[in-house]
Amino acid sequence: MSFNPQKVARAVAGSLALTLVSVGLAGCSVGDGREPVRFTFSKREAIEFMTDVVAKYNASQDKVQVNIDTSGVDVVSASFVRGNPPDLMLANYNMEVARFVERCTLSDLSDTTAASQMKESYQPLLDQYGVCEGRQSALPFSVMAASVIYNKEIFEANNLQVPTTWDELIDVCEKLVAAGVTPFYATLKDDWTVGQGWYDYTVGGSIDVIDFFDRLSAQGADVGPDSETSFSKDFAEPMDKMQQLLDDYINKDAPSRGYNDGNLAFAKGEAAMYLQGPWAFSEIAKTSPDLALGTFPLPMTDDPADRSVRVNLDLAAMIPEGSNHKEAARDFLEYLFQPENIEAYNASQLGFTPTSTAAAPDDPRIEGMIPFIDAGEIYQGPSVLVPKTIPVFNYAQAIALGGDAGQYLATMDADWARLAFRAPAKKES
Amino acid sequence: MSTTTTEVVGGQKVRRTKRRVEPIYYLFLLPSLILLTLAITIPGIIGIFFSFTDSIGIGDWSFIGLTNYVAAFSDPAILQSYLFTFGFSIATVLVVNVIAFMLAVGLVSRIRFKTGLRTIFVIPMVISGIIIAYVFNFLFSNSLPALGTALGIEALETSLLANPDLAWVAIVAVTAWQAIPGTLLIYIAGLLSVPGDVYEAADIDGATKFQQLTRITVPLVAGYVVINIILGFKGFLNAYDIIVGLTNGGPGTATRSVAMTIIAGFNGGDYAYQMANATIFFVVAILISILQLSLTRGRNAF
Repeated sequence: MSFNPQKVARAVAGSLALTLVSVGLAGCSVGDGREPVRFTFSKREAIEFMTDVVAKYNASQDKVQVNIDTSGVDVVSASFVRGNPPDLMLANYNMEVARFVERCTLSDLSDTTAASQMKESYQPLLDQYGVCEGRQSALPFSVMAASVIYNKEIFEANNLQVPTTWDELIDVCEKLVAAGVTPFYATLKDDWTVGQGWYDYTVGGSIDVIDFFDRLSAQGADVGPDSETSFSKDFAEPMDKMQQLLDDYINKDAPSRGYNDGNLAFAKGEAAMYLQGPWAFSEIAKTSPDLALGTFPLPMTDDPADRSVRVNLDLAAMIPEGSNHKEAARDFLEYLFQPENIEAYNASQLGFTPTSTAAAPDDPRIEGMIPFIDAGEIYQGPSVLVPKTIPVFNYAQAIALGGDAGQYLATMDADWARLAFRAPAKKES
Repeated sequence: MSTTTTEVVGGQKVRRTKRRVEPIYYLFLLPSLILLTLAITIPGIIGIFFSFTDSIGIGDWSFIGLTNYVAAFSDPAILQSYLFTFGFSIATVLVVNVIAFMLAVGLVSRIRFKTGLRTIFVIPMVISGIIIAYVFNFLFSNSLPALGTALGIEALETSLLANPDLAWVAIVAVTAWQAIPGTLLIYIAGLLSVPGDVYEAADIDGATKFQQLTRITVPLVAGYVVINIILGFKGFLNAYDIIVGLTNGGPGTATRSVAMTIIAGFNGGDYAYQMANATIFFVVAILISILQLSLTRGRNAF
């Protein structure tokens, strides 16, 4: 069966919400003179870790009482609407959260110590989701890097090197096929795996994502088949190459395989490469804890220098303007960003710490991506940079299943233009 | 429900013009009226109001007139979701009613294990839609292809859910599987209300069982057919959980229902636009209700 992990997380969080809310209320009523801070955090895999951090912080001082709330993104959104936002959010930084930024509902964090430690190369990535003029609305806390996961044992058994260009990639695939090994394990049934893997890696490896979206935004409602920048024009080649790979080098039953099937099959060594993020490591390890895995960015051009790694701001800290405990929340925020805390967190989750001093996590499975992260050869997935109204995951899935790429890209152009047509006029920056 | 009650109260008012209406009747109406107003009417009006703005659900917003509606009418995704939803609803209503009616006829006739069979057929009704969807998702993705491979039937080897042209068939099948029991119960109630003596008379007149079915049973339960079609169609137009569990709107955008499109707008910060879509859907639903009511008003026969 296939579950979108985010959905499951949401469902679990939802059912926990009631319990936690009642616990939270009970906590409030005790009232020992400390200033309460409602801290929302719903990354399922790390709730235990973060609960520990909160407990340590609460024990370390007697002014602030942080209460962790794991009820999930939807509940947080609703609390904004009701005018009762959390005091501190540590959440995935994406289009859903970005609307809080664009409407200036988050307070400025630029004068915190945490802000001064931030690695500057992440600022453009933050800005891609929108800006509230003159404010540092969010601070990145954890960065996840994703690229091709490969089975080192299979590569060694077949005397294969990690490919650095498109031709080398095709060469590797051909050799694997000749050796009777499925090159890629694809899970086309779950549209998000197509979006974050196949679609993002092929596009991100081919074009400059930040530049593309800048140009696209500049065109606004004029995006279309004749405009200078469009999905039809810029994405045609990556989509074509994506279909090439999917036509010849994936498992036959890919259309009916989902994320969980993929983790299981890849752990059993049924394919050499797998387009997933670091979150899949722990799932794969459940089946094959000792499998030697590595990562490399998908090469899409003939120039090795074009390779880059897909990152996402897995967690960013934000303090809503509507909070009544901003000062207390900032105190806890500074605590979270103290090097030992932020680095311990990222080490536990295989994430990269977005501060200028932190070292990359020490794990052979993500070693292959470290040089790219250090050099700033990174991009954010084009599938998550488009407002959710445009069902990019669905379109990517349709293309991956053999649909007419030109037609779907044209639909995306039209969707984008329509969105720009009815969007409020953006303030010029 | 409240409409019928109002009519009854109104009717009594007309008949007993001289006498005061018992205030207790108004009291009966009050809880529903308050709940309906708070939970449906007021949010509905607020939603329609916001469809004329650029709100994303939070923060500042301003009026943008009919822009959302203009954009919605030229949006192929929205158009496609309407076509899919209506096609799916019509197909499902037909499948559900035909099967449920036949089952009901079978289950009220003199057969063995009647009670046991009725219980079994009603079980799907008590299982939550999303669970049914996940179970069938597994069957369609794994069991059915495995069966196809084992038997060498090529058409079954790939999942039905992965085929953009056929995924709707799976959705109709699963939705029907869940919806048949409810319809079945109404039909059984209807069939039991047909007096036995008309069948005795028909037997004496020499009518065959099939003639009895088409000439007596069907006309006499026509009112129930109308109820089932209206209730079923209304329910299927709002299809959501089973589609989410089975295909999540995919493959591609082949099975996105209107409800899914609207909810995607809430999650994606596109509140006002999807409110416009919801308003359009509301108007369409009202038009369909008026059509259905005017076609069937006062009739309990075809």
